[in-house]
Amino acid sequence: MIKLPSYIHFVQPGLMSSVQDLGRFGLAQYGIPYSGAMDRYAVAQVNFILRNPKDAAVLEISGTGPEMVFESETRIVFAGAEPEVLLNGKPINYGQVIDIKPEDHVLVKRIKKGQWAYMGIQGGFESELVAGSRSWYPGITPRTRVRKGDTLCYLSEAERYYPPVETKAKIRSDWFRLSKINVYPGPEWHLLPHLLHNRILNKAFKVSDMIDRMAYQLEENISHELEPILTSPVYPGTVQLTPSGKLIILMRDAQVTGGYPRILQVENASLNVLTQKTPKEKITFTLKK
Amino acid sequence: MDIRFNLINSKLLEISWPKDISPLILEEMMAVKGYLEKEYADGIKEIRMGYHCLSLKLQLDINEKEVSELLEEIESKGLKIDTPSSKLWTIPVCYGGEFGIDLLKLSKFHGLEPEEIIQLHSDPEYLLYFYGFLPGFMYLGGLNERLTTPRKSSPDRSVPAGSVAIGGKQTGIYPCESPGGWHVVGVCPIPLFDIHQDPPVMAKVNDRVKFRSIEKEEYLELKEKSKTGKYQWQHD
Repeated sequence: MIKLPSYIHFVQPGLMSSVQDLGRFGLAQYGIPYSGAMDRYAVAQVNFILRNPKDAAVLEISGTGPEMVFESETRIVFAGAEPEVLLNGKPINYGQVIDIKPEDHVLVKRIKKGQWAYMGIQGGFESELVAGSRSWYPGITPRTRVRKGDTLCYLSEAERYYPPVETKAKIRSDWFRLSKINVYPGPEWHLLPHLLHNRILNKAFKVSDMIDRMAYQLEENISHELEPILTSPVYPGTVQLTPSGKLIILMRDAQVTGGYPRILQVENASLNVLTQKTPKEKITFTLKK
Repeated sequence: MDIRFNLINSKLLEISWPKDISPLILEEMMAVKGYLEKEYADGIKEIRMGYHCLSLKLQLDINEKEVSELLEEIESKGLKIDTPSSKLWTIPVCYGGEFGIDLLKLSKFHGLEPEEIIQLHSDPEYLLYFYGFLPGFMYLGGLNERLTTPRKSSPDRSVPAGSVAIGGKQTGIYPCESPGGWHVVGVCPIPLFDIHQDPPVMAKVNDRVKFRSIEKEEYLELKEKSKTGKYQWQHD
């Protein structure tokens, strides 16, 4: 199989595009977060469709998307949030394998549904592998987001040696419309009075516009009398309660320790759903155990 | 050992000590961590540390019954707390001036001369409890109580890499450029974190750190040396 290094040229970078894989593990002891794709389920989908290894690196896109020109043949697919994508000016479908030819022009106009869209590429991106992962993170990888004029390397395969996975059942984006988020009690949950337990579990919370790869803040206030804790371990999915009563749900790029009470821990599958929530969408917490 | 187990879910277990920052608790935590890493290497994916808790991310599922058996096992072992080896690292710091932009404000706030602040800050041996906040950021215990300073009410948008700062009862060094709400008293000319090294940091948990006040001349010299890779970290 002949594979040739080729490049995507970014004519426009889009608002927030970065290379992500499943993350960087085992380095939290040095203060290094996992990072990795916000929606791991979507990454599993694109890599499955393209017959890639599970940890192949993908392009994560948020807000307005990038404008790209491909140097040579490959195949791509979009999943996760549902974007409006044009291939040489013609719309292409979500979840469908697209054959790319040299000089093809792909424009991700905007995201119609959800927060983070993923563009998988055959074989995955060949960007810098740092400490076992290609996920971009400040201070760890040379780049943190795609900039105008950037290039990204992939291995082009001119000939197909196997057909793509035929997905008769179309990929759907409605699974992340779920508003129920499964949670476990966090280490400081039991310090809250019963009354507040009920309030938190019976309330619909609105996602605020303060959302990024580090954390999602919710709009509502839960006034409480919990004391700050001594700095303790936190994870993606840890729900912190700030002194002013805001709920902050930590995401993939969150630091490894925190000083706010950790009242809940979001279940892994629900965390993928949560990442796709956009500002003003409502969620409710369902306690497991 | 006064410890508590808290099973968050079948793959996440927290072991906590009484809420305190104390070298004794750190020793016990190190003993339990060492024991678990030795006996249950296959079952544990990762152990994270805070001041008074260990958080275990597990490879295999665990249930309440197994958790209480594990707790009994640890308590009955009477884990020997061999004082683990601890190195003392010396970190050069150029205090004040253009590098320690908040030193004069701190001096006014505490009614101490800048030299006294430098003296109080560079005198103790600080204990490294764990890494967190930023890659390579050391949580150090042992700041002189006279230097306790409330954090800035609004954080600075950018604190340069290497900045040595005081916030609350803590002191630390920013390994990379970052927003931050601590008061910057100086800068260390040598990078403390390099992701391309294994491990990416020089000091281990339970090591000690001491600051050495240097003049600008030495600062420039050390900066040059570290650029060309000729600087060797100093420890006892």
